[in-house]
Amino acid sequence: MTGFKRISVLALAVLMVVTSVFAQGTKEDAAAGKQIELTVLNYIDMSEPNSANDITMVWDKFEAENPDIKLVREDLFNEPFHQKTEAYVASGQVPDVLYMWPSGRSTSLHTTKSVKDLKPFLEKDGLFDQYNPATVAPQFAGYLAMLPNGVTTTHMLYVNTKVLRDNGLAIPKSYADMKAMVAPLKAKGIDLIAMDNMDAWVMQSCLFSMVVGRFGGVDWYERLAAGKISFTDEWFVKSLDLIDDMYKSGMINRNSLTSPYGSSRGSFAAGKAAFYIDGDWSTGAFQTDITTGKALISPALQQSDFELMVIPNLPGEVIHNSNSGVVGTGWGMSANIPAGSAKEAAAWRLIKYLQGEYVQTYRLSTGASFPSNLNVDVEKVVKERNLEPFIAKRAAYYAAHTPISPVVDGVLHSDVYNVINVGLQEIGLGSKAPKQVASEVQKAWDTWKKNQ
Amino acid sequence: MRDIKDTKSIGARINTVLTYVVMIFFTVMAIYPLLWLVMNSFKTTTEFQMNKLGFPKEWVLVNYQDAWVRGKFPRLILNSFIYTGVTTVATLVFSFMAAFAFAKIPNRSTKYLHGSFVIGLLLTLQSIMVPLFLIINWVGLYNTSLGVLIPYIGIAMPMGIYLGTEFIKSIPDALVESARIDGATYWKIFISIIVPMAAPVAVTVAIMTVTGTWNEFMLINILTSSDALKSLPVGVQKFAGALSSDFGKQFAALVIGLVPMLVFYLSFRKEITKGVAAGAVKG
Repeated sequence: MTGFKRISVLALAVLMVVTSVFAQGTKEDAAAGKQIELTVLNYIDMSEPNSANDITMVWDKFEAENPDIKLVREDLFNEPFHQKTEAYVASGQVPDVLYMWPSGRSTSLHTTKSVKDLKPFLEKDGLFDQYNPATVAPQFAGYLAMLPNGVTTTHMLYVNTKVLRDNGLAIPKSYADMKAMVAPLKAKGIDLIAMDNMDAWVMQSCLFSMVVGRFGGVDWYERLAAGKISFTDEWFVKSLDLIDDMYKSGMINRNSLTSPYGSSRGSFAAGKAAFYIDGDWSTGAFQTDITTGKALISPALQQSDFELMVIPNLPGEVIHNSNSGVVGTGWGMSANIPAGSAKEAAAWRLIKYLQGEYVQTYRLSTGASFPSNLNVDVEKVVKERNLEPFIAKRAAYYAAHTPISPVVDGVLHSDVYNVINVGLQEIGLGSKAPKQVASEVQKAWDTWKKNQ
Repeated sequence: MRDIKDTKSIGARINTVLTYVVMIFFTVMAIYPLLWLVMNSFKTTTEFQMNKLGFPKEWVLVNYQDAWVRGKFPRLILNSFIYTGVTTVATLVFSFMAAFAFAKIPNRSTKYLHGSFVIGLLLTLQSIMVPLFLIINWVGLYNTSLGVLIPYIGIAMPMGIYLGTEFIKSIPDALVESARIDGATYWKIFISIIVPMAAPVAVTVAIMTVTGTWNEFMLINILTSSDALKSLPVGVQKFAGALSSDFGKQFAALVIGLVPMLVFYLSFRKEITKGVAAGAVKG
């Protein structure tokens, strides 16, 4: 053997040894013993202040309390999560318990019926009435494919009352009141509404969906699907007109179209805008980061200088004080688990725990979600745990602003809502008129319906 | 004559100044985003929201500490080194052996075999993702590092074989024939003649494999479920999303992910430049 040959053979041997040692998998693969092993696909944003606590407060606690169940958890976030879910669905090997959406990004799980109907489980345990009725209604495929954390409202008007007070203004009672604030605030270099519209979904989800509900009613989608109304009718054109008016009047600055999502929270908190429009999920971003102890808006200021509401009465609206919302994310169970098996019982025990009083109370206290479980006494939790004012204000906001109308991208297909998203940006840029956008949306809707 | 000389001198100076201005502009364009990222990784989210462009008022290290622990980066970095090292060595060995056979020991099946490898260059990762996931599950390699390494090597080999074959073809046949007449085996010829001569293109293949494997996250995400087997890009992705709430930790995680590649480039920049140039000429 020459030297080089010897080195090559040695390198290959080392490579094989390293590979096979490395390929042995982890200890957790082998140590399951007699426990029931459940695979779990979890969704977690590691940058979120409470993510580290979630592991100990939620997952470790479950394993400690249920020694007969072994969890093999996979934590993913954002696109990697969705890619993995699609691979699981395509291969028919869905994890036993998995985080999912009521439609949208989890459509394939619903349409392939990869998850079980959870209603019989809730009914069997007498739990069905213990959840907010909206959260246990049939979902995308006509059954309760996942048990949601709660309801998410996609429109929230964050108000900096100090800015209003300092400028002799009061919380507006109508759209006209808000519009009248543009000039006095602009004179002092303050924007009326801060919003980040670079991503097309923001305007559609966080403002337009609420406006569509106000002009079209809570059942606009049912009537549209039944062919009773169309996108070129007054309700939809008026909704687009309102957005056009907000840009033209300076209520929303056209510069917001170059602002990435979440980037104007700081300027709003600093008083450079009187209002900020986003979804309810953003309240957490203003609260205290437990790792640094710092908050964009301190608890004291949350109490004294900020309010949470919806845009007040719009001219010509058919329902008042409404908001747009969707059922939140939650947990589903793989349809591959044999019915009546011990594994099925274990998976249901986990889902019950994840949507039970303890975990939902914990999630409420971190601001992660608002409970779907009616046993969680929000007011009591807020008082007892001395939670930040935004959590208490959020509870009051939900109670004050009903009914809830559908979110555009929660009910329409992407072939249609993408045209709306782009159209809203074109209105913002002033390059298209509302009627033009309305007819394009109708065309997209007709094409989509024809292909069904 | 003097006037012409002076004019030339002024022209040359303007030319030099303009060249520097353009180069400085592009350097700033390339480096500023990195500096911005590093600078903001030392801010709290609150400070980032209020002050996006300036230096941190208070340099916060907790972002790195949290990202390092929560992201389980030590294990992920080790995994990335192992995947990248093993894939690169295996790709070089197997690709150049195959390339030598295709280029210098042809037979009737060579064009079909060569074509069957090179066609891999046309396949996108997305198109093979689900079939690959099914096969890896079927053979019982799901959630094992071998189940990651085999596809990694398989995906890197088409480019290695393509570049290697084209390069080795350019080595005169007379060299191989002379060695054969002198009694050298094909193995001896490969080791003693082909490998040393193919070193420049091997560097190109190595660079492409190292960067491709190091940055790969789609396959490792699909083919493993245990955190103990995932690699750095998956760890970084756990912090990065449109709805991320903590920019400081997100930026810290991105910087951590960036550092090994930066060190790799700074350590091997001469070889990388040479390798890319060789690949450009021969490719």
